[in-house]
Amino acid sequence: MKAMNRRRLISVSAVLAVASLTATAVPANAREVGVGSSEIKLGMTLPMTGAASLGYNKIPGAAKAYFDYLNANGGVNGRKITLIVKDDRYVPTEAVAKTNELILKDKVMALLAPLGTANVKAVASSLNPARRGVPVLFVNTGFSGFADVKKYPTTYAILPSYIMEAKIMGEYIKDNFAGKKIGLLYQDDDFGSDALAGFKTAGINFAVKVPYASGSQGAAAAAGWITKFKAAEADVVILFGVSSATSAMLGTAAVLKYAPQWMLGSVGGDATTIKLTGVPAGVLYNAIGFSPVPATTDMNDEYIKLFSDIYAKAVPGSVFDLNVLLGMNTAFMTAQALKAAGQNPTRKSLMAVLNTKGATLANSALTPVGYSAKSHVGLTGYWVGKYSPTGDLLPLGGTYVTYTTDSGTGAVVKSTYKRPAMPAKGLPN
Amino acid sequence: MRLTSAKTRIYALLSASALVTGIIVSVPVAANAAPACDGKSPVQSCVGVTSDGAPYSMMVPANFNGTVALYSHGYRYNIDIPVGIPLIGGYKVTNTPEPIPGGNAAVAQYLFSQGVAVMGSGFARQGWNPDSAIKTNVELIGEFKAKFPTTTKVVAWGSSLGGVITQGLAEKYPNLISAAAPMCMADNIPAELTMAGDFLWGLKVLFDPTIKGGNYSAGAAGNAEAYGDLVKVFTVMGKLQASLSTNAWPDTSSATGKALAAGGVPPRSALLLLGLMSGLPTQSAHFDSIRGPEGALKLSFPLAISPALAILENGTNAAALAVLATQDVELQAGGAIFDNTMTDYAARIENERVIFNAALSGNTVIEALLGALSTANPGAPRAVGNAAAIAKMNALHSNTGKINVPTILMTGVADPITPAGASQRIVDAYAQQFADEKLAAFAAYKTTRSYNGPTNKLLMLWNMTPSKGYTTFTDAGSPITTTPAASGTNHCNFTSAQLVLVAKSLVSAGLTGKLPSGGPIVSAGRKAGNLVVDRNFSVPLLKYYNQ
Repeated sequence: MKAMNRRRLISVSAVLAVASLTATAVPANAREVGVGSSEIKLGMTLPMTGAASLGYNKIPGAAKAYFDYLNANGGVNGRKITLIVKDDRYVPTEAVAKTNELILKDKVMALLAPLGTANVKAVASSLNPARRGVPVLFVNTGFSGFADVKKYPTTYAILPSYIMEAKIMGEYIKDNFAGKKIGLLYQDDDFGSDALAGFKTAGINFAVKVPYASGSQGAAAAAGWITKFKAAEADVVILFGVSSATSAMLGTAAVLKYAPQWMLGSVGGDATTIKLTGVPAGVLYNAIGFSPVPATTDMNDEYIKLFSDIYAKAVPGSVFDLNVLLGMNTAFMTAQALKAAGQNPTRKSLMAVLNTKGATLANSALTPVGYSAKSHVGLTGYWVGKYSPTGDLLPLGGTYVTYTTDSGTGAVVKSTYKRPAMPAKGLPN
Repeated sequence: MRLTSAKTRIYALLSASALVTGIIVSVPVAANAAPACDGKSPVQSCVGVTSDGAPYSMMVPANFNGTVALYSHGYRYNIDIPVGIPLIGGYKVTNTPEPIPGGNAAVAQYLFSQGVAVMGSGFARQGWNPDSAIKTNVELIGEFKAKFPTTTKVVAWGSSLGGVITQGLAEKYPNLISAAAPMCMADNIPAELTMAGDFLWGLKVLFDPTIKGGNYSAGAAGNAEAYGDLVKVFTVMGKLQASLSTNAWPDTSSATGKALAAGGVPPRSALLLLGLMSGLPTQSAHFDSIRGPEGALKLSFPLAISPALAILENGTNAAALAVLATQDVELQAGGAIFDNTMTDYAARIENERVIFNAALSGNTVIEALLGALSTANPGAPRAVGNAAAIAKMNALHSNTGKINVPTILMTGVADPITPAGASQRIVDAYAQQFADEKLAAFAAYKTTRSYNGPTNKLLMLWNMTPSKGYTTFTDAGSPITTTPAASGTNHCNFTSAQLVLVAKSLVSAGLTGKLPSGGPIVSAGRKAGNLVVDRNFSVPLLKYYNQ
C-alpha cells in the first residue's frame, strides 16, 4: 500500500517536475496550447504534391469545407476551427519536420488525420507526440498497431485495420469462390504484413502471392505481376495495395487483355484517384470492393447528402469521392469531440472524450469505432460491393450488408450496428 | 589506383570534419611549475604543465571579473596516422591546449569583453581519457586560483569527449564549478563503441570480410591493423557510393554479401540497414532524406536513396573514430571490447524498418538482410569480446547524468559521431532526479511545514536540421556535396552565434545560479540559428540502451 502511494507521489511529482520545467510560468486560467479565445488550431500533414498525392490531397480541402461550414454556424462553443495543412509529400523525414513545425511554431492543439503508416510511425518515434501530450486524431492508415494504447497513447485510428479488411475479404472468398485459385498482390511492408495476417486468420491459401516494394509500382512492374498471376492460373486476383499500384495493374491488364475477377482493397480502390493516373474508371467495372462508409453516390444517406452539399458549395466542380467523404467525416467527428471536451477544451479533455464517448460520436460509417481507455481501434467493418461501369462502388443487391470483426482471431460476423442519426444540420450538439 | 579513386570519391563526398581542432599555444618546459605569464594587455597569456605532464593555457583579460571558463577539448587520436591513409593521414598526436572551442574568435571576443578568463588543458593522454582528464582539470582549477586569487567562479564547458569530461567534472566535483556546458557530448564509452562496433561489424560481414573491426593486436602490429582497417573501410564506402548508380555490390563483398547480391538485394538497402541498426542518423551534412531533384526522382530520391546516402556520409565521417577509438579502448582494457553475440538486430530496427521501408526495398529484402546478419548464419560470425576487457572498459569513467550545477547541453540532432541520444540520456536522468528532489521536498515539508522545492538546473538546446530540407542538386539532378554542412548535422557543427549563446548562458548561470528561461532563451536560440528549447522534444537513445 505504501509502495503504491509512493508510486502515485512519484507520478504526481514527475508531472509537477515537468510542469515546472516549462519555459514560462503558466497562469491558472491559461488556455491549452492551440486554443485561443476565438479559435482552435489543428494541424495536418499529408502529401499535397507529387506522385503520392493523387486523391489524398483532397482530404484537407474536404476537412476545411466542413470546418468552414461549422465556423459559419458558430464554431465550437464560439471558437472557430483553423486547420493548418503542410505538405509532407509522403516522405517520412519530411512528415517529421513538418509536424515539428505544427507543434512548435504553429502551436496546434492536435494533429489531425496524418496519412501513411511510415509517416505516422516516423513522427511517433522521432517527435514523440505522446510524451508531449499531443493528440494525433484519426490517422489515415489501417495499420493495426496504431490502436495500441500502450505504444501510442495519444494516437487514434479511424480506418478499419488492414487485418480486419483481409479477414472480411477472406470470408467473402470462402463463401463465393470456394475451389478457385486466388492470387494476391500486396505491398511489401506493414500494410502488406497486416493483410497477410488477416488472410492467414481467415484460412485463405493463395495460388500465388506477389509482393511489391513501396515505390516500385508502375506499368513495367505490373506486366511482371501479370505474368506471375497468369502462370498460377489465378481465377481471382486481390489487389491489396495503394491506388497507384491498382491503377498500374488494371491499366496494364486492360492493355494485355488479362481479366480475372478483380477484388480491390479499400486503400487502392478509389475510382477518382485511379482516373487521375490516366486509367479510365471503366477498368474497375465488375471488380469487387469493400468500404466502411456509404457509397459516395448514395444521396439517400443523410450524411452523404449533407456532406456532398457542403462540399459542392465549398469546392465547386470537385468530385465528391471517398477521400472527400473521409476528410469531412474526420472533421465532423473532431468537432463533436471538441464540443464535448468542454467550454475550454484541453488536449487531455479531448482525449478523455474520445476514450469515454468516442464510440458514440455520430459519423457516416456503417460500423462503430472501438475507442476506449484500453483501445484506440478505429472503425470495425466493411460492406461488400461491386464497381459500376463509371467506377462507383455500390452495395451488392442494393443494400448495405456490413461485416465486422477485430484485428485478432475473432470471427467475421454480420454487424447489427445502428448508426446514430446525424445531429441537426450536421453540427455538434 | 583503386584507393586513389575511392579516396577522391570520399573527398568529394565529405565535408570538412571537425574531429581535430586546436589553437596554437606554446608548450611550457617544466612540469607542475607555476604558470608562466607574458603580462600582456589587454589579454595576458599563461602556460604551464600540470603534474601529469599535461600542458595548459590560460588567457586572462585585463578586466578580469573573477570568472574563468574551463574548456575541455574533444577526442584526438592517440596514434599518429601515416600520410597514406585517406582523410586523416598525416595526423600527429598532439596535446596542444585548447582554451576556447576551436580557437573561435567570436567566443574569445565575447568572453574577454565580459572580463571572463579562459583556460584549457591539452591533457596528458589523448584518446579516451575522462579518468585522467577530470583529474587534470581539477589540478588546473587549483593552479588558476592560485595564480589569480581574485577568482570567484569557475564555469566548465567542453565538446564531444570534452563534454563527457565536463559533465564528469560537474558530477564528481560540483564544489569546484558553478555551471557546466557539455556540448555535442559523447555517451559513455560502452554505448559509443557499441555503435561503432555494430557498424564496423556490419561492413565486415557484408562488404569486406578482411576488415578486422576490433580485437587489434598490441603495439605497432595493432597500429598497422587499425591503419589497414581505415583504408579498407574508406575504400568500401567509396565503392558503396559508386554502387548507388550501378547497383553492384563491392567486389570485396563476403560470400554472405554476394548471396544477397544474387538475391537482388540492393547494396544501398544493405548499407542503410547497417546504419539503422547501429543508430546512425538518417540525415547528414548534405542529405536530408526530404528533397529530391526535379523530375522522375523527385519523390523516390528522398524515399529510397537519400537515407542511404546519409548513412554513407555519416558512416564515412564516423568510421575513422570507430576504428581508432576501438583500438584505443582495447589497449586500455586489454582485449576485445565489442561483443555482439547476443545482439538482436531485428529488434533494433523494429520502428525503422517501417519508416524506411521503401529505402530498405521492402520486407522481403529486410528479412533477407536480417537473416544474413543473424546468429544463424555462419557466414556472418558474431564478434566475441573478452569478458575481462569488457569489464575493464565498463569500469572506465561513466557519467550517471546527475546534475549538480546549472547545466547547459547543446547538441545537433543529426550528429553522426556523438548522437543526440547521448544528451537525451542526461535529460531523462535529470527528469527523474528532479522528480525525486520534488518528492524529497514534499517529505521535508511534512516535518518543517516549509516547502523548499528544487529549481531547474538543466537547459537543453537542440540544434535542429532545417525543416524544409537542405539537399541541393545540379541542373542535371546530381546532389551537391560541396556546400557547408547543414545545421544540426556533422560532428559538433556549431556556429559562432550558437557557441556565443552557450558561453553567455554559461557565464550568467555561473554568476547567478540560474539558467536562462522562458521567452528570452527560446528567442535567443532561434536567433542563434535553429536552436530549439522544448522540454517535450526527444530523440532516441543510443542503441546500446535498447539491447
